[in-house]
Amino acid sequence: MSGSGGTRGTGGLRRLKTVIRAGLRSNFGLTLLKHRLFKEKKDRWLVPVIGLGILGALPALWGIILIIKGAYEMLAPMGQERALLSLGILAGQLLILVFGIYYVISAFYFSRDLEMLIPLPLRPGEVMTSKFAVIVINEYLTVAAVVLPVVITLGVLAKGGVGYWVNAVLVYLALPVIPLALVSLAVVAMMRFINVSRKKDALILVGSIVLIVLAMGLQIALGKSAGAGGAQASAQDVAAFFTSPDSLLNRVGAFFPPSIWATKAVAGGLSGEGLANLALLLGVSLVFFAAMVVLAEKLFYRGLVGLGETTGKKRLLTSDEMSRRVSSGRRVIAAVFGREWKIMNRTPIFLLNGVLVVVVFPAIFVLMAIMDPAREGGSMVLMRIMTSANPLYVILAAALFMTVCGSLNGTSSSTFSREGTQFWISRVIPVPPREQVAAKFLHSYLVAMLGVVTASAVSAVFLHLKALHLAAAAGLSLVAGVLLTAVGMIIDLARPLLDWTNPQKAIKQNLNVLLAMLADIGILTAFFFGVKMLIKVKMAGKTVLGVVFAALAGLAVLSYGLLLRFSDKRYPEIET
Amino acid sequence: MIKLSNVSKSYNRGKIKAVDDLTLNVDPGEIFGFLGPNGAGKTTTIKMIVGLLRSDAGRIFVEGFDVATDGLKAKQVTTYVPDYPAVYERLTGLEYLNFIGDVYGVPRKERLERIGKWLDIFELAPVVTNPIQSYSHGMKQKIVLTAALLPAPRVMVLDEPLVGLDPRAAHQIKEMFREHCDEGKTLFFSTHIMEVAEKLCDRIGIIHKGRLVACGTMEELKALDRTEKSLEGIFLELTDK
Repeated sequence: MSGSGGTRGTGGLRRLKTVIRAGLRSNFGLTLLKHRLFKEKKDRWLVPVIGLGILGALPALWGIILIIKGAYEMLAPMGQERALLSLGILAGQLLILVFGIYYVISAFYFSRDLEMLIPLPLRPGEVMTSKFAVIVINEYLTVAAVVLPVVITLGVLAKGGVGYWVNAVLVYLALPVIPLALVSLAVVAMMRFINVSRKKDALILVGSIVLIVLAMGLQIALGKSAGAGGAQASAQDVAAFFTSPDSLLNRVGAFFPPSIWATKAVAGGLSGEGLANLALLLGVSLVFFAAMVVLAEKLFYRGLVGLGETTGKKRLLTSDEMSRRVSSGRRVIAAVFGREWKIMNRTPIFLLNGVLVVVVFPAIFVLMAIMDPAREGGSMVLMRIMTSANPLYVILAAALFMTVCGSLNGTSSSTFSREGTQFWISRVIPVPPREQVAAKFLHSYLVAMLGVVTASAVSAVFLHLKALHLAAAAGLSLVAGVLLTAVGMIIDLARPLLDWTNPQKAIKQNLNVLLAMLADIGILTAFFFGVKMLIKVKMAGKTVLGVVFAALAGLAVLSYGLLLRFSDKRYPEIET
Repeated sequence: MIKLSNVSKSYNRGKIKAVDDLTLNVDPGEIFGFLGPNGAGKTTTIKMIVGLLRSDAGRIFVEGFDVATDGLKAKQVTTYVPDYPAVYERLTGLEYLNFIGDVYGVPRKERLERIGKWLDIFELAPVVTNPIQSYSHGMKQKIVLTAALLPAPRVMVLDEPLVGLDPRAAHQIKEMFREHCDEGKTLFFSTHIMEVAEKLCDRIGIIHKGRLVACGTMEELKALDRTEKSLEGIFLELTDK
């Protein structure tokens, strides 16, 4: 293995640094990005586009900050403001727990660079640490949207000192370690003891779903526990709960103690409590990380070697079977659509991030409704009352819900990227780009429709929407779906990410997916302000709906036309 | 028929000249072997012929269709086999062949006949309903070749088609090349295997640093040198600069 005697330690550390650096560079495409930005000068236009995307999302971020501020002003007089911090941190850590499973399984076991790394004179723990570093950095980006607004807003409102900010940075850096190490430990142990070489796809799918269900179960339990004091508790219990400082924090964080330590570390700053909790969080993170490395040394390669091999049964088709299976000639659009459909559904990472996501949002809504402890006074009832006040609000709110469920997924914005190195096939087949793109649009739009239909069913059952309102909302969201699908596809077509080695990069770590989401949020925010203005000038409800529908339909037609034109121009330019 | 006239292509904003003023004709019924050291411009030329790359200058015609302005018609008569068999791993071999048959509009009768024939020859029939993901490198190469043969194209362009094939499959492919061109069709392929080029090709082109340094029949190439060297000797001499 490594050098001998005294140089072993420093040599090992240097080697570990090299592996981590190589992992980060290849994963985040830094070398490639540098080459494209400064040498080829190809992607410079991306800089203003990303800036614009962030600007577009600013109003939504401002809304979130206002909500946090409102909650803070309500909780601070009761001494419960730290619960907010804990809630943000806990949400971030649960998010890591849920989505970490995709990252961990695909980075540890299914990324293609493993074939190159395993034969190198590296210890299993070093390979795993390099992969772990990549996932941790990914998680910083994933949880930023959940954790940072809370931590920063609270820091500003509570006038946090130097200790607050220093600890906040340290806590943020340590935040993903414990949940990710937990997931890694579970996954490494599972992969070692289950022979998965033939069923790796099914494993990712089942494993991920089980973990999502577990994480959601945790949230239901959390909700029930938080609400347990609601209907049945006496007035004294409630008073005692709210007058005891941090009681809410302790209850919220009870399910995942590191979130309590993290909260106390940040809020406590340089006080004894702050430093003690910081030490506890960092110490436990280190212990979990070390445990993961130790386990990796023993089990990682044993679960890994042979995993890349897939086998199939050999069976000769009879001439009848062959005749049945050989297609008699489908239309080109049907052929391309069929290819999209099969590849998406048979690649677990694509299926989970593209299709499953559209049903996860409605499922979360259903869980919220089910776990509502005080059925006749809870948030669902409140929501029903709020939305039944004015049919216009009912329809628009439901349409927004359906649109978010249907369109805010990575299907359309990764449709070209998902082809990866196989994009050459699309380039050489004698099919006009616009026909290929029409088939891809149909596929992405179908996924969006699945979300709209699921969200419609949920709205009908839990919000008791009238059929007419439901139909109007579904109509609006179906038209909005055309616009958002086309926008997502245009963004991906402008700069498809084709050189990935791990399917995760094509959809989950694809900048195009993020850009498209920012664009979608920007479009929806613009519509929100537009409607607000129309209501302000006292336009009749039906007219407002008519204007929104017409605007959406106009933009939908325009964006679809633009997409087809863009495909004619762009396809020949994409060099593979 | 393939015709390249004064074709150039550079990368990195003109800093790296991959193909430099290349003029070349491949006639119907001809097997044309394209040789050159690594990085000489073979793959770039091939990718320009099949429309994967755009040339910076010059024009390329396939069966009389300009690939820049009449690309779709050129694609309809051409199939391409890349140097690495990157195919849809999640589809089965048969699904991939069906997809290719659909997009090229291959009629059912011919489709059944050709699929059956090439699956048999390449011994892929027992695995054709398995995902391509489960195939070995050689099997993937064979499914790509089968797909390229399925439309019975007028022009076949192949980049290192023999890499990864077992001797039996390589032999069958070479026979197929001959049959294909005996029907008056055109075949353009790159290779590093000198014996194959020497025995199989009607004409050979040698590219070095983006420029065509020699082109002709084996006899014409030998005559250039007057020392009766083997193709390997001629190749080494021409590219040793």
